[in-house]
Amino acid sequence: MTGKFVSVLRGLIFIVIALALCGVIFQFAGYSALGMFHSVAEGAFFRPGAWQQSLRWALPLFITAAGVGISFRAGYFNIGAQGQFYLGAICAAFMAEWLNGAPAFVVIPACFAAGMTGGALWALWPGLLRLQSGTDEVITTLMGNFLAGLLLVYVTAGPLKDPSGSGQQASSRPLAAAYRISDSLGLSPTIIVIAALVAVAMWLLVNRTAFGVLASLAGRNPTMVQWQGATVWRLGLSSFLISGALAGLAGTIEFMGPNGRLAGGFLPTHGFTAILIALVANLSVVGTAFVSVFFGGLASAALYLPIMAGLPSAAIEIINAAIALFITAKSGFVDRLLAIGRRSA
Amino acid sequence: MNDIIVAILRSGTPLIYVTMAGVVAQRAGIWNLGLEGLMIIGACTAIVGIVLTGSFALAMLIAIILCVLASVLLWFVIEKLKANPIIAGLGLTGLGLGGTSLAVQAIFGSQAAVTAPFGVPKLGPAFGPFGVLSIFVLAMPFAVFAMWVLLRRTRFGLRLAASGEHPFAARSVGANPSRMRLAALIIGGVLCAIGGAELAAGSLQIYAQNMTAGRGFMAFAAVIFGAAHPIGSAFAALFFSVVGALGIRAQLLFGDAVPHDLLLALPYIATVFGVWLSGKLRGGRKAATGFAELRDY
Repeated sequence: MTGKFVSVLRGLIFIVIALALCGVIFQFAGYSALGMFHSVAEGAFFRPGAWQQSLRWALPLFITAAGVGISFRAGYFNIGAQGQFYLGAICAAFMAEWLNGAPAFVVIPACFAAGMTGGALWALWPGLLRLQSGTDEVITTLMGNFLAGLLLVYVTAGPLKDPSGSGQQASSRPLAAAYRISDSLGLSPTIIVIAALVAVAMWLLVNRTAFGVLASLAGRNPTMVQWQGATVWRLGLSSFLISGALAGLAGTIEFMGPNGRLAGGFLPTHGFTAILIALVANLSVVGTAFVSVFFGGLASAALYLPIMAGLPSAAIEIINAAIALFITAKSGFVDRLLAIGRRSA
Repeated sequence: MNDIIVAILRSGTPLIYVTMAGVVAQRAGIWNLGLEGLMIIGACTAIVGIVLTGSFALAMLIAIILCVLASVLLWFVIEKLKANPIIAGLGLTGLGLGGTSLAVQAIFGSQAAVTAPFGVPKLGPAFGPFGVLSIFVLAMPFAVFAMWVLLRRTRFGLRLAASGEHPFAARSVGANPSRMRLAALIIGGVLCAIGGAELAAGSLQIYAQNMTAGRGFMAFAAVIFGAAHPIGSAFAALFFSVVGALGIRAQLLFGDAVPHDLLLALPYIATVFGVWLSGKLRGGRKAATGFAELRDY
């Protein structure tokens, strides 16, 4: 067995443990665990049209998760994907507002540029603080998430407010139909092509460029990379910027595609799920693509459960959280189990 | 003036209890990002417990037991399964938020807010305008002081700090760092149960889904801002509450002239600034932490 296979197997074992914990919680709360898992699987993959819905959630998650993977690879614990995602959406919305009336072939690329820049800038300051003064990026990016959330509430209730909106939740004016890149179902050729481009670019970056190799090495052993003459500083900052730009891209897609407008606190778990995807995929780009489909399925099941099965969507939150609890675990016991497999193989 | 102080104490007390939970974990070397989850478990259990059992003491007991169990689960995953504390903590937070929503739906058949007939016992008319506050508010300064004594003046506290800063040194004097962390997280669980109960049952006597609204993370920010010193962190938490209370007041007085959301951002900006400054003052760059342990090569 290769090391890669062992690590995939280990990940799977901990996911099974996490699901078992979920089962216990469901049962304890008075639901049938089997029924719950059955409904989740049905909502995610086995009802008619489920795959389209799952992909709709999977593609933006994949883009953010690919970025998270880059910064984790380089050894920076950037947990600010949520904030970078919001800033991307906010900057794209401002650009759309500013260029409103211009032809779509001008507005759409400009919004994408603005969104990616916004996301990258929201990753830039934690990156600079980290590399200049050693300020812990876990704290700065976490605080950045809250700041971005407040900024989103502020712009949707202030500068971008839709005056015709009802008082319930402030949201921005809807994006003109000509500028939308998908309908509200959220799966369009444009989005698929963008995700595919990101996948190819990230795979090449990680596996076929000096940057990717050095960044991965820097994550494991910065001293060695420094001795080999690479600039850890530049590698680190680039990885922050790339992860921010991709989260911003995902924010732009959610704004210009399925959502079509900004609302205060929209998609509040996007960043956390993306971090989870990157970790479950063990930071590999190909793995991230597959794992995204799984978590995209869970995200679409969260909408399906309360409406079609009469079950609370909190079940999905619990499944995600339990996987988070266990996914970085390493256990001597599990490794011994795997070692037994290795001897017999 | 009194009503401002009452408002600050009401919003500050839950935050300070949870901050103390973060402080004791931080001292033991665990960045506890599960505070938010523990706090919502405390808040939910306190109200639901009062409704179901009709007894405040019983509800509090259940809240403490559940928070301690959740903390032990976090300890097990971090210490025994060597999971990354930050991801595991965020996982516990999600488990708390999701689990409480699920439990409320299961027990009451809807996700609507739950109202309890009574809450935490109040101080009473003997305290004049402060009589509306709960007994947990009065106990709070003593809890902070007790935490300071525990962490800075007892053998246990010193061993706890050693376990966090230099586990090898702790082991050399016969302390078991892993067990010290368990103790720290259990103490934290009790404090989060009290903080959550005060939030839900201290004045409003109502539990609503996700009512902690990021207070657990704000407590974590207070821990960092106060450099994990019990009194420093308590004042940081108090500062955050003052900013929040002033933000609401400023909005009442000046309307939209002072953007409320931007005032609410002050604590987070202050935390970033504080962390940056403390790094500058200590000098030197943080050695790049390879998060190599996240991956298997």
